[in-house]
Amino acid sequence: MKTDSIKTNGLVLLIIAGLIAAISVSRWIDAHRGPLNAGADDESLYLNGKTARRISLAFNGLAADWYWMRSLQYVGKKIINLPDNVELDDLGQLNLKTLAPLLDTATTLDPQFLDPYEYAAVVLPSVDVNQAIRITKKGIDANPNAWKLYQHLGYIYWQQKDFRAAADAYGRGAAIPGAPTFFSAMKARMLAEGGSRDTAREIYRQMFEQSNDDSVKDMARRRLMQIDSMDERDVLRKLLTAYQTRTGHCPATWKEVEPVLRSLRLPLVADAAPMDPSGAPYVLKGCDVELDPKSEVPGK
Amino acid sequence: MDATSLANPIEQVKVSHGDGGSMSRIMAIARNAFREAVRDRVLYNLVLFVLLLTAAAIFIGELSGGQERKVIVDLGLSAMLLFGTFIAIFVGVGLVYKEIEKRTVYAIFSKPVGRGEFLLGKYLGLCLTLLVNVVVMGIGVSLALMYVSRGWDPLVLVIWPAVFLLYLELMIITAIALLFSSFSSPALSALLTFFVFIIGHFSSDLKGLATSLGSTSARWLFASLYYLLPNLSNYSFITPAAHGQAPAAAFVAMTTVYAIFYIAVVLAAATFVFSRRNFK
Repeated sequence: MKTDSIKTNGLVLLIIAGLIAAISVSRWIDAHRGPLNAGADDESLYLNGKTARRISLAFNGLAADWYWMRSLQYVGKKIINLPDNVELDDLGQLNLKTLAPLLDTATTLDPQFLDPYEYAAVVLPSVDVNQAIRITKKGIDANPNAWKLYQHLGYIYWQQKDFRAAADAYGRGAAIPGAPTFFSAMKARMLAEGGSRDTAREIYRQMFEQSNDDSVKDMARRRLMQIDSMDERDVLRKLLTAYQTRTGHCPATWKEVEPVLRSLRLPLVADAAPMDPSGAPYVLKGCDVELDPKSEVPGK
Repeated sequence: MDATSLANPIEQVKVSHGDGGSMSRIMAIARNAFREAVRDRVLYNLVLFVLLLTAAAIFIGELSGGQERKVIVDLGLSAMLLFGTFIAIFVGVGLVYKEIEKRTVYAIFSKPVGRGEFLLGKYLGLCLTLLVNVVVMGIGVSLALMYVSRGWDPLVLVIWPAVFLLYLELMIITAIALLFSSFSSPALSALLTFFVFIIGHFSSDLKGLATSLGSTSARWLFASLYYLLPNLSNYSFITPAAHGQAPAAAFVAMTTVYAIFYIAVVLAAATFVFSRRNFK
């Protein structure tokens, strides 16, 4: 009996000690070896969408989820090394060459899965605009009643400043039963003032309200702050120019123009600096105004 | 029904005296096949399934960009099909073989039990095991959906028609596994059943080949294969269910009728082959 107990305890100890040793060695190897497969993320996909769909049998939905999550991880891994205020619609610098095939495969595996189309419309134009348009149009072919896809297509064309094509996309979306009324308004606005800030504000406002993706919502929120900040900076520049005309010099601090700022009802911090939409103080540079480097408002 | 299951005195009496007719004998064999599966810890896969779904429900939100409901349904129903297929194949091919290997089949057939009754009982027993498996898994997916939605989720109702279709597919696979196991070794039966499962999901390609080929004999070959092999793609409603789409009632009714006919044919063929085997 006692011998059995000693044997059991010995085996348990051996298992625990063995596991600790194996984990320690594994950690040492990880620490002393370079990345296992540097650049593996950017390797071409082994399977195209059609082949993946064929061999996924009844599991195509799950495979689509896998490719979708891979797309998010692929972008996420590259974004993680960038400054905090990088925008989702401005990732061209990241060389996201595998993103289009990943999203294409996800949407081929599950053509009704709408979120990858939205991601393609928002992220891909800065990487490969033709792929962004192709994937979104593929989505429209597979889901002719999904008005959201026309909104995405309109957004891509608007970004490219092709306001006529954007108007056409919004117009076709407006014809779908159940499409929101803003589609018709957007069509008219694209034709009349496609490049205006009000149009941009409306686009990002709709994107913020319609999207289910938190990262897209966040990008739209920051773009809306950027547009508001542009308007505010225009007002501040006019104010500073007027001050210079009146006094012959630019203000050294915001305190000098505080009464005017207060009359404009702009929110001010303790040293009378006006706050941008994210709550950071604007920086006075002579007769110009700039964003604080810590501001959440996108610089470009 | 192995030696241990025959040790159950009540079932033994029922089987040996044949009281209640053919149906009661079939049900007695089915009950024993179910108990045997439970004793063989087949339902332990539910533990793995629950762990998988729990992990998915907790962690998938961070990975899926707000698509956790879709992923839960895809993952849950796919796991249901995968686990169910493995059970149908690996337990199904052993149903008859184990009885022959352990020589308990001689004891059974020395009593007034027909070969068809024996096969049908075994089949229904495994179907009952799969039913328990599928229902528990369906409840698990429903609970996971309600967890990620923080309350009632309309997808909970939508997944059940898909679960039913999936169960029909498993019933077909079980019947095929039983057919192969009636004349072949377990390893070969498992392999052949797995091939049928794969080809069954490529049935639309077979039909496409049958219509597009120039050679008449090739067209006939592929058309025959298309109609002979089960059209399992009809039972794949996982992806639409994840998008909140339920199959039409007429579609469910017709796929059920197809499954009944197909299973009847396969079980009849299995009985035909099995009845020609010599156990004397």
